[in-house]
Amino acid sequence: MTAYVIRRIWQMIPTIAGVILLIFILFNWVGGDPAQVLAGKISNPEQIANIRKQLGVDQPYWFQLWVFVQQVFTFDFGRSWSTNEEVSRIILTRVGPTLTIMVPVLVIETSLSVLFAIMVAYVRGTLTDRAIMIICTVAMSVSFLVYIIVFQWLFGFVLGWFPVQGWSESFWKNLFTYAPLPIMLAVFVGVAPQLRLYRSFFLDEINQDYVRTARAKGLPEKRVMLKHVLRNAMIPILTNVAIYLPGVFVGSFLLEVFFSIPGLGREIITAVNRSDFPVIKAVTVYLAMFTMVVNLLVDVMYKFVDPRVSFK
Amino acid sequence: MTRRLAMLALAVLALALALPAEAQKKVLRMAFRTAETGFDPVRAYDRYSVGICENLFEPLLTYDYLARPVKLAPLVAESIPEPEEGGTRYTFRIRPGIYFVDDPVFKGEKRELVAKDIEYTIKRYRDPRNRAAYEWLFENKIVGLDELAEKAKKTGTFDYNAKVAGMEVRGKYIISFKLKEPDYNFLYILAMPNVVPMAREVIEAYGEDTMGHPVGTGPFVLKEWVRRSKIVLERNPSYRGFELETRYADPNDEWDRKAMEDLRGKRLPQLDRVEIYPIEDEQPRYLAFLNKEHDLIDETPVSFIQQVLPNGKLAPNLARQGVRVFPELEPEFTYDVFNVEEIVDGRENVLGGNAPERIALRRAMVLAHDRKQEIEIIRKGQAIAAQSPVPPGVVGYDPSFHTAAQDYDPARAKALLDMFGYRDRDGDGWRETPEGRPFVVQYKYNLGGQEQRQLAELWVKSMAAVGIRVETLAVQFADLLNDKRVGHFQMAGSAWIADYPDAQNFLQLFYGPNTNQSNEARFRLPEYDRLYERSLAIPDGEERNRLYREMDRLLLAYAPVRLGVHRIFNHLQYPWVKGYKKHPILYTQFKWLDLDVAAQQVAMK
Repeated sequence: MTAYVIRRIWQMIPTIAGVILLIFILFNWVGGDPAQVLAGKISNPEQIANIRKQLGVDQPYWFQLWVFVQQVFTFDFGRSWSTNEEVSRIILTRVGPTLTIMVPVLVIETSLSVLFAIMVAYVRGTLTDRAIMIICTVAMSVSFLVYIIVFQWLFGFVLGWFPVQGWSESFWKNLFTYAPLPIMLAVFVGVAPQLRLYRSFFLDEINQDYVRTARAKGLPEKRVMLKHVLRNAMIPILTNVAIYLPGVFVGSFLLEVFFSIPGLGREIITAVNRSDFPVIKAVTVYLAMFTMVVNLLVDVMYKFVDPRVSFK
Repeated sequence: MTRRLAMLALAVLALALALPAEAQKKVLRMAFRTAETGFDPVRAYDRYSVGICENLFEPLLTYDYLARPVKLAPLVAESIPEPEEGGTRYTFRIRPGIYFVDDPVFKGEKRELVAKDIEYTIKRYRDPRNRAAYEWLFENKIVGLDELAEKAKKTGTFDYNAKVAGMEVRGKYIISFKLKEPDYNFLYILAMPNVVPMAREVIEAYGEDTMGHPVGTGPFVLKEWVRRSKIVLERNPSYRGFELETRYADPNDEWDRKAMEDLRGKRLPQLDRVEIYPIEDEQPRYLAFLNKEHDLIDETPVSFIQQVLPNGKLAPNLARQGVRVFPELEPEFTYDVFNVEEIVDGRENVLGGNAPERIALRRAMVLAHDRKQEIEIIRKGQAIAAQSPVPPGVVGYDPSFHTAAQDYDPARAKALLDMFGYRDRDGDGWRETPEGRPFVVQYKYNLGGQEQRQLAELWVKSMAAVGIRVETLAVQFADLLNDKRVGHFQMAGSAWIADYPDAQNFLQLFYGPNTNQSNEARFRLPEYDRLYERSLAIPDGEERNRLYREMDRLLLAYAPVRLGVHRIFNHLQYPWVKGYKKHPILYTQFKWLDLDVAAQQVAMK
């Protein structure tokens, strides 16, 4: 296994190099000149040149790329071009609010999806199954933005169950006062597609010979479903969760904007709007690294979930 | 034991007494529609950050709260100086006894504001390291300053100890500015909320972190700042205080009367704390107000205007709650510029030049643009048609100035096009140039804005109605800024908000030498430039207004611009907000506001 892990880590290097190159090309191609934004209402070409010089965007591309590579390996992305705040500080202060929302969302959403999926898979073909599938399809057809607007208006304003927006310094106040409505919304929207997907995973397993054998042996249905079917369906479920996991750190931009949550997703959008390349660079590179590490961990976990898996 | 119990009882009693006192704190809550960037007045480049700086720092001059049209008032300066030496010298005497808020940099000493602090700030504007967005305020302005800035560019270091001939600091409290040219608007520059005295030792101590360490003499201090999420100001405990100036109040104005009634005899500022939440999206901003999570909403989102002002009247549900609406005609104007360069991107520009047929095409396009639709549909009725670049409320505005040259009149547009040879010769429904070549005009707009997209669509539709083909191109905001600055466009939308309340701030948009800066149309007309230069050397009065009108007429005649609208912003407040009156130049008015805490708390229950 050690050799497998080392090989996978080794393989990450060209991937990171590709990510760095892609971000660099995209920013320089479509990112817009940050000096134009920073220059204010009235500025002359000389002032713009001065700003470009200070930001280092007047340097040859190869030099800028080299600086980028150095930043990645020293974990020092300098300061935000628009606010002069240290990029590391921006990330550290924004990741907390994002996780306060997104970790509960991931846990609740996955638990509910797995639970409902195994239930509807068990009663497949019945009216309940069909009704739930129709509800899921309808729910998936509506835009996330519509849910946000309606939920915020209904639960925040009309019913007054939650504040319309806000955030505080207290983790507990955030978790129990400001976070419930965005969490509820994200779970509500996320459950439908996942339920459908996980149901198909369970159905694949239910139709396998080993399930028939287990039943023929006289095992109780509960044991068949929860021990055999659930365990075998866990590999695709784990893969799916792993795909979602990096997104947890970026958060949902829409939720953060609509509920005034000072999270990473909102920060990234602001950075893109202001052509704040240091922030964009740091977040995208860290996210790419995190995604690769999560994928590796999930691959390792397969072994524990399914002993048939071997590392080659 | 008894003693302990007695002490405990006392502590409980103290706590009980303290709680109502805490609850009685006057806390104003509101939203900003855009996130701030930081509170170093020289480095801040957005309106919202400067709006916060208004409360933390104090310029030499400010504006009277109630006077309309706006009127300058002394703040840190003892009085408003008279221009000397033909408008080239201004001498200020600073009030003694004004102190910066306590800061560790001062090592426990009280730090008095002195004349050198304003000299230092102005030098900071020219230090290239600061990338000051408002550097233009002091370019080619003060004798000796440009030379110092040039030297800094060459050496890479700005010499803050160097003497500048045009900034004479005489003793502790007097500073005299000598300008290169007469400038009767110089006092307005020194009333801008980002041109404020700053302590050099503070700026040097905080180095790159000055955006997060504002140390001023203003009525509030920055208590807490969660960047782009929450800004908390608290009353500066050592602030000297002031009373509402009512000298220029209009007794017939209900807002003035109410403000005077609310604030009579009170020492300002009254607010203990102001909490500001940047909320970019319109719905949460509006709902937070409706939910009474906020006490006022500045600039009610246009998408909610039908709910707030159905048929132009405050909605009954809001009126029942005592909500008041302050409709403000902003000192700004929106416009579309025609690039009048004859060659754009190496190709002939059909809109460019001042040949009669080119002017006719631009004028016809202005006439064919359906401004009524823009106001009624896109602006939801919250705008008035601009007759000149100079908006109401600005010195030099003439309410009687009206022209039909910018009115929607497709019949006249068609006639004008026909007359100058722009006809549909091949019968494809689109007009050709007088030389018989087909042409398409490109309109560039900001990719991120829904309103901009609607305006672009209106151009396409309006021009199609008279046979002119317009295609639109959405580009990134930064690219659009650059394209407009360097002339890499044919037509594009713009807006300009007053930096200071004088027509000159708007008419400079078409001054030839400002090409590559603010003159996006790249309009260079010697006659216009001469009038503009003459107006700079004349103080406010009939003569200068006449020059301004002449410039307006030239703009209408040559049409480098389609005048858009002056937007109306509706500011809502709950009845417990006292003393409110929106100032057209200042962005916030916290120091003049009061709060009826009892009414606020009852409503929030």
